[in-house]
Amino acid sequence: MTGFGQEHPSSALRGSLRLRLLIGTLAWIAVSIIVAGWALDGLFRNHIARQFHAELNTHLDQLAAHLAVDQTGQVSLSAAQSDPRFNKPYSGRYWQVDRLGVSTGESVGVLRSRSLWDDVLRVPPDTLTDGQIHWHRIPGPGPGKTMLGLVERVVTLADVADPAGQAYRLVVAADEHQMAESIEHFNQMLWLALGLLGGGLTLSAVIQVRTALAPLRRLHGALADVRNGGTPRLEGHFPLEVQPLVEEFNSVLAQNAEVVARARTQAGNLAHALKTPLSVIANAANAQQGDMAKQVSEQVEVARKQIDYHLSRSRLAASVRVPGTRTPVSPVLDGLIRVMRRIYAERNLELVLATHPEPPVFRGEEQDLQEMLGNLLDNACKWATRRIEIALSEVGDELLITLDDDGCGLSAAQQQRVLIRGERVDEQLPGSGLGLAISNDLAHLYGGRVELADSPLGGLRVTLVLPAAATTP
Amino acid sequence: MRVLVVEDEPSISAQLNEALSAAGYAVDVADNGVDAHHLAIDGNQPFDAVVLDLGLPQMDGLTVLKKWRAAGRTLPVLILTARDNWHEKVAGIDAGADDYLTKPFHMEELLARLRALIRRAGGHASAELVCGDVVLDTRHSRVTVGGQALTLTSHEYRVLDYLMHHPGQLVSRSDLIEHIYAQDFDRDSNTVEVFIARLRKKLPAGVIETVRGLGYRLVAP
Repeated sequence: MTGFGQEHPSSALRGSLRLRLLIGTLAWIAVSIIVAGWALDGLFRNHIARQFHAELNTHLDQLAAHLAVDQTGQVSLSAAQSDPRFNKPYSGRYWQVDRLGVSTGESVGVLRSRSLWDDVLRVPPDTLTDGQIHWHRIPGPGPGKTMLGLVERVVTLADVADPAGQAYRLVVAADEHQMAESIEHFNQMLWLALGLLGGGLTLSAVIQVRTALAPLRRLHGALADVRNGGTPRLEGHFPLEVQPLVEEFNSVLAQNAEVVARARTQAGNLAHALKTPLSVIANAANAQQGDMAKQVSEQVEVARKQIDYHLSRSRLAASVRVPGTRTPVSPVLDGLIRVMRRIYAERNLELVLATHPEPPVFRGEEQDLQEMLGNLLDNACKWATRRIEIALSEVGDELLITLDDDGCGLSAAQQQRVLIRGERVDEQLPGSGLGLAISNDLAHLYGGRVELADSPLGGLRVTLVLPAAATTP
Repeated sequence: MRVLVVEDEPSISAQLNEALSAAGYAVDVADNGVDAHHLAIDGNQPFDAVVLDLGLPQMDGLTVLKKWRAAGRTLPVLILTARDNWHEKVAGIDAGADDYLTKPFHMEELLARLRALIRRAGGHASAELVCGDVVLDTRHSRVTVGGQALTLTSHEYRVLDYLMHHPGQLVSRSDLIEHIYAQDFDRDSNTVEVFIARLRKKLPAGVIETVRGLGYRLVAP
């Protein structure tokens, strides 16, 4: 089972489109470069080896052409070898002439280049027909003992009288190190060039992936904007591949808002449908005397509380946050203060709203804010003696609405109890006793909370903490 | 005091009618928004208060209320609503309601709120109306003179109640008739004089003055 929070080796790869594209592209670039490097290296080695052999062959031909044997059977060269390296001791270029006699036996190094100094080249024994060329690798002379590439052929001089010396082996050798040097140099250049190419390709891949994924990043920004309450729907033009997604999302947003509105209306309709007959029953029972009437009255009260409780729950369920909604707090607060002034006109309450320099905006539904604030304000008015102070502030991305009253307040234990649904501290004042709890539940739904404390005015301080919307949409 | 009840649910309407009448109000009833509007505007009926249900056929309560306020009618209005949410309450108060009550409601609470509305509309701060030795307790529909309880019939109480709400003001006979009887009641202007005569016997002398040809005035002797 793979679920959220489970670490999986390839989860990072599966999680990031950019990583996936980059790793894919980079793997291909790396493989191509390694294969190209390997192939070019092989080709160059081949080329150098052929050049090396061709050069040795040329020297061998030259040696064969210049070989001369006089009447006494003395072997000599009619002209010096053209390459000056044959004259420099242990230069890495050597030639040698061996006499192959049938009766006299083999005589190695009858003639040899100065570069061989006192050494001779020990050619592995093999049998060659005239004109055949053989290749060998042998350890070289001198201090380094580096490997030599060696080419040999047998020459028979038909015009020579001495039958003992009629066959000669001509050998030309060169240090393989010279070949390796140029290969190494080539390889350095090759890998440098391939490295630069790889770097360039990687850079272009990164740029390409970033460019290709830029609309997704823009989409992310637009979504964040919707979530923060900046806009009600995704705005902007997106590429052909992303646009259907955006349109689908916008229609889901619209549908969501519609469902919430419908659920609200239905909750209201249900309230209407149930409460009207309940009113009739309650009033009819209240007008009568006797046990029956008393029982009916009691049960109607129970039913009323149940309806209130379940209605508030259904309202909460309907209050699924519709992203992208923003509600300025001040107009809602002003409306509620007008209501409180009117319905508590009898008590001459002072409702004081502290002015706020920048009108804060709540990230959510107007009706939900009205519900939360209405319950809290109503509660404050019920308990206040004379004065209620309301203050707004913003701390970080949180919106704080503080209500202070000068009533009798609540003890710490009561403060704990009163936020729990259904708990009522005092049964004397009318109301379902759900107000604070409903506000608290709603606030929690928005990721906020209701905090209770002692007020400096002497009564209760209620602080409603809610997510604030970005001030500029 | 004359009250208009606008409620489409017959049972609630009947209960309201009964309870308000028992509390000494003259009650007129409308069961839809259009009738309610005509009664208060075209009929020019002098209601002292209105109990207005919001969910009405033909024209909803909020629209009726807005039309009344737009026409300059300042009579106190108590809204009845089954929808218990603050959005509706704010809308109601902003449309010009003076108070609201959510269903199901206790009749006692409705009567108390209505009394308070009528009292405030007349500029009275206290639930007890005082004129010299005469004290009318609106909460209990009780009248005392110098601390002694007074026994009054329903109609006597209505007349005194109206006069006590308008102390020192000239109240014409037709005013009194308008405010103590509902519209469909068989009115007899002579009976007002009968009620005044009986009240004068029960109250200290000189409390109810007659302004010849114009009406009556309540004064503190």
